[in-house]
Amino acid sequence: MSENTIIELKGLTKKYGYGDTESFALKDFDLTIKRGEFIMIMGPSGCGKTTLLNIIGLLDRATRGEYILNGENVAGISSHRQAKLRAKKIGFVFQNFNLINDLPILENVALPLVYTGYSKTSRLKNASSVLKRFHLQEREYYLPYQLSGGQQQRVAIARAIVGDPEIILADEPTGNLDSRSSHIVMEELKGIHEEGNTIIMVTHNPTLTVYATRVINMLDGQIDTDVKTVADANLPQPISVKIKKRKSDFSSLTDNDVKRSRRSRRSRRKK
Amino acid sequence: MALLLRTHYKLAKTAIKENRTRSFLTCLGIAIGVASIILILSLMGSISNLIKSEIGEIGADLIVVRPGTTKDTVTSIVEELTSANSFQKSNLSASDTDAIKKIENISAAAPIAISNNTVASEKNTFSSVSILGTTTDFIKIEPLAMRFGSFFNENNQENSVVLGHTLSLALFNTINSTVGKTITIMGEKFMVVGVLDEIEKSISFDNIDFDNALIMNINAIDKLTGSTQVQQINVKAANTDSLDTISDNIKKTLLEKKNGDQNFAVAHGDGITHPAGSLFNIISGMLTLVAAISLVVGGIGVMNIMLVSVAERTHEIGIRKAVGASSRNILLQFLFEALILSILGGIFGLILGYILAFILSTFTPFAPFISWEILAITFLTTLVIGIIFGIYPALKAATKNPIDSLKHYQ
Repeated sequence: MSENTIIELKGLTKKYGYGDTESFALKDFDLTIKRGEFIMIMGPSGCGKTTLLNIIGLLDRATRGEYILNGENVAGISSHRQAKLRAKKIGFVFQNFNLINDLPILENVALPLVYTGYSKTSRLKNASSVLKRFHLQEREYYLPYQLSGGQQQRVAIARAIVGDPEIILADEPTGNLDSRSSHIVMEELKGIHEEGNTIIMVTHNPTLTVYATRVINMLDGQIDTDVKTVADANLPQPISVKIKKRKSDFSSLTDNDVKRSRRSRRSRRKK
Repeated sequence: MALLLRTHYKLAKTAIKENRTRSFLTCLGIAIGVASIILILSLMGSISNLIKSEIGEIGADLIVVRPGTTKDTVTSIVEELTSANSFQKSNLSASDTDAIKKIENISAAAPIAISNNTVASEKNTFSSVSILGTTTDFIKIEPLAMRFGSFFNENNQENSVVLGHTLSLALFNTINSTVGKTITIMGEKFMVVGVLDEIEKSISFDNIDFDNALIMNINAIDKLTGSTQVQQINVKAANTDSLDTISDNIKKTLLEKKNGDQNFAVAHGDGITHPAGSLFNIISGMLTLVAAISLVVGGIGVMNIMLVSVAERTHEIGIRKAVGASSRNILLQFLFEALILSILGGIFGLILGYILAFILSTFTPFAPFISWEILAITFLTTLVIGIIFGIYPALKAATKNPIDSLKHYQ
């Protein structure tokens, strides 16, 4: 397995029901995804696109098969570990935005950081600078329903990238948007991809495939066609550099600073 | 971890603030339960304080000898308190008093023998008047205030009596000119030498209602009825330092005198109020149990509202899980919410309970009683209630499937 492989699926099968009602959402599905790919998954309804995305996003489990994420087999891990990996490595963007209606935009964006151990201040600082990137900074304290669909989806994308995940999973992110908003959202995703993030996106809209580096057509839980439009060598890669830069940009304190100060406080108390 | 806990606490606080009315009503349920427990505990605390202060007034030098062995089990205490004939079993006698008097460091000892008899004055006749037979030492040990006249002494004790305040009124329709008049008991004539002042205290360690009692010499009763049983011997120690030793000496002396038949108990200090104190403990325990039922009802209220909250926020749970919340995170978030609700309710209840106790104290002799035990019990109960009734909704939230939750209607 090459170093650039981020996801490897082998013989992945997802079965619903038993006996007569048995049906397969995925059937012996094999797929290898390289770091920096922008994959669009297309296909008719019920072909298993969303199931695939949920399994890759560790929200669901395959009935059988292997799932190797960053060299680690994660097919049989505990749901607690799944949640931890979700918090650190995966960002979700949904068709219906899935923002928490009672929380202002800023706190919605900061949500993933709650579960990775950031303090409230650094959470909000990070969220605020991500929102700035999407030109939504002056709307920080709006509630989701006060924004247009396109804006809400941009907030959702901001939430997906705030924790610096390696993989962004988008389930028909433009499905609820008009063509103009769709275009803006796709441009944002393109920008994120160019920074070296891996994006896997499910869509019904064939015109959007121009953004992808690889287009997969699915049929009945299996790959029908798999077309790469960009050579592996030309995929954007600068992930690790970018993450460091962003963290130091956003807050004057790095995680290590916080840990160090906590450690020293603890040792002082011991004395 | 500490950071995460604080975050959960803040999340829970926000959720509670968002549903103010609902949270307030839920807290109220807990508060009413806690308030009733507080009220009962405070009342019982002040009653036992009253009993203690009664002993305090008599003095710390009092030792009491009672028939029957010391009773510790609840059943025997209830039996003793509810049985009208408990005094009949007594094997103490007036001669025991004389034996006790000879022990060193004892300044006075007086027997108490209670019987009922018909008492007649020139105007009225009353049947079953409590007659307290004792000796002249009695007034030295228990300083009863005299309204008129004096307690009988060595010179006139054989044919003198002292009347309680109410009894005097009943027999002679007056208290002013009672002293010097005569009464008749079983054909014998006795002269009234004193009238007691009205007793204001509601509790007496002798179990005697002095207002309605007639006090006379124990030998005089003996002569009238043929036999008397001593129900209690009050002993006054010369110094308060060696009460334990003196008690032991009394026990030894009496055992010797009765050939080892230990059918009596020697008590001092808190031990004197034991039967009465135990009764209040039993009552307070039962009342607390009843109040605990209302607390359980409050707890069910918490559970109910938490279940509603979980159902309402299914979509939110789905989102939180999708962005990386583990089941444990969700569990803690909802458990904290339930805990805050019940502890807030507990604080409300504490305040409410004491307000009620203060109102009650304005027309009863029971002063509000606060102790750290009551505060600790309140805090612990609400904590336990919060956990018991919060864990199920929290588990329900935590085990929700994220995919289904995300599809849940917003």
